[in-house]
Amino acid sequence: MLEVKRLSKYFGGLAAVNELDLKVDQSEILGLIGPNGAGKTTFFNMVSGFFPPTSGQVFFKDRDISRFKAHDIAQLGIGRTFQSSTLFMKLSVLDNVLTGYHMSYRTGFLKRILHSPSARKEERRFREKALEILEFMGIGSLRNELAANLPHGYQRILGISMALATDPKLLLLDEPATGMNANETRTLISLIRQIQNRGITIILVEHDMKAVMDLSDRIVVLNFGKKIAEGLPSEIKENREVIEAYLGKEEEAPLDAA
Amino acid sequence: MRAGKFICIIIVIVILMLLPLVVRNPYYIHLLIMVGINAVLAMTFILMLRTGLISLGIAAFWGIGAYTSALLSENAGLPVWLCFPSAAIITGIVAIIVGAFLVKQGGFGFIIQTLAFGFIIVLIFGTFEVFGGHVGIVDIPRPEPILIPYVGSIEFSFISKTPYYYLMLFLVLLMTLTLTAFYTAWAGSAWRAIGLSAYLAESLGINLFRYRLLAFVIASTVAGLMGSFYAHYYVSLVPASFGPFKTIYVHVYAILGGINSPIMGPIIGSLIMTFVPEFLRVTEGVEPIFTGILIILLILFLPSGLLGLTRLWQGRGKPHEDAAQPSP
Repeated sequence: MLEVKRLSKYFGGLAAVNELDLKVDQSEILGLIGPNGAGKTTFFNMVSGFFPPTSGQVFFKDRDISRFKAHDIAQLGIGRTFQSSTLFMKLSVLDNVLTGYHMSYRTGFLKRILHSPSARKEERRFREKALEILEFMGIGSLRNELAANLPHGYQRILGISMALATDPKLLLLDEPATGMNANETRTLISLIRQIQNRGITIILVEHDMKAVMDLSDRIVVLNFGKKIAEGLPSEIKENREVIEAYLGKEEEAPLDAA
Repeated sequence: MRAGKFICIIIVIVILMLLPLVVRNPYYIHLLIMVGINAVLAMTFILMLRTGLISLGIAAFWGIGAYTSALLSENAGLPVWLCFPSAAIITGIVAIIVGAFLVKQGGFGFIIQTLAFGFIIVLIFGTFEVFGGHVGIVDIPRPEPILIPYVGSIEFSFISKTPYYYLMLFLVLLMTLTLTAFYTAWAGSAWRAIGLSAYLAESLGINLFRYRLLAFVIASTVAGLMGSFYAHYYVSLVPASFGPFKTIYVHVYAILGGINSPIMGPIIGSLIMTFVPEFLRVTEGVEPIFTGILIILLILFLPSGLLGLTRLWQGRGKPHEDAAQPSP
């Protein structure tokens, strides 16, 4: 589904991502972990078209998208969320999700300007779909609330809902569980599972190790922009290099503690 | 709520249409006509601002419309009524070409580049013989009389400004409807999204460049149409009227009225800015000082403008509706 070949990003002399090779298969959840500054978000920004890579390629469905613009990549079917709660804070929850249908309009320019019946019908259809997503994500009752007034956990959920509205084939989740309590995280985990069951492939960047280990089919570990390990969650837990990266050398604690 | 608003708008339009029957002083009619032009220019400022573009070249496009129309009618002999749409379209085409270069930059680059563009346009108008040089263009034809069967003809002349007033009302109404149509359609929600968070909008598939260019071109076309009207109303043009200084005034009209109200804000703002200095009898030389102080005070104490004040007063009933929906 997604393949990355020798992908690098330099900021000045600093390699944020260094010769990264990576492959994501259809319908899997790939966990992407690593200490702060390991290059996870930079990787997301390159895949979603916000930063052009310094070198290397990104292939999505066998198509080289390394130089595509962010909005083109969104149209190809790669959705993403942002690390901080990046939402349209001044808009209602429903309007936030509706914005995600922007590229789905099919009626013509003039018809939309004149609010013709077919354009209205289309808008109503998007509205229904947006409400469906909100119900699915469990925040349907908050649809008229301002995004800014939501508790942090719900803001993360709203961010995912908006990405879902763009009908992605691949979803990049950047630390969705940040700021969530244990209960909320559990809900989030089940939601991400359900999203996967809808046939959406997911790359998950997350610091909550329990969530990552629970959800991921495979895990890739980054450190200083390089891939240091790859494997099943159970393998990663035992991997010496990973433990060292997280806890420093000569430390014998299991990874679960992180 | 919607019906009430609609009735209010109809009442205001009727009052505006009856106004010349009460206001006998042609000078006040003249001021009202200028209010209309300035209000529409201020609307174009808000339109671009919504997408994160602060243009210092609004007056330049207004001037392009005015000069195009003057030349088309004077040199090419085109009927004035055809000059209005032609000038608007030509201004729009210029905006596509200029915008393709400037809009891509966005941010501070765009501000400085539109400022430069504003100066360049004034220089071009003032230097080249076609545009009349520093003395500008004089004796621009007035609109041809409109013949109405059984009633007679409506003449556009220097003595009676009332026909111009009605033409202005018609244009303001037309532009208001056009802009509202865009605001309430998909383009409006894309612009709003870009203005609120460009990154997020992009990640949802919104083409930043395309929608910014769309706003830029619509704004410039509208400004061009008003310029065309101005040319045939004022019947003489001098380059200096179209410099960035004028654009700053346009910004003030919008900010004073309230940038959260893309239609009413500019109207209120330009109404006040045109009539208050008039009633205070502020002389022309002192007036910029007054405006300068006003800008500083506004940004310090009333960043959401006068209409923002009424909303504060109404309480926080449904805050998201006024912030989000561009209400006409």
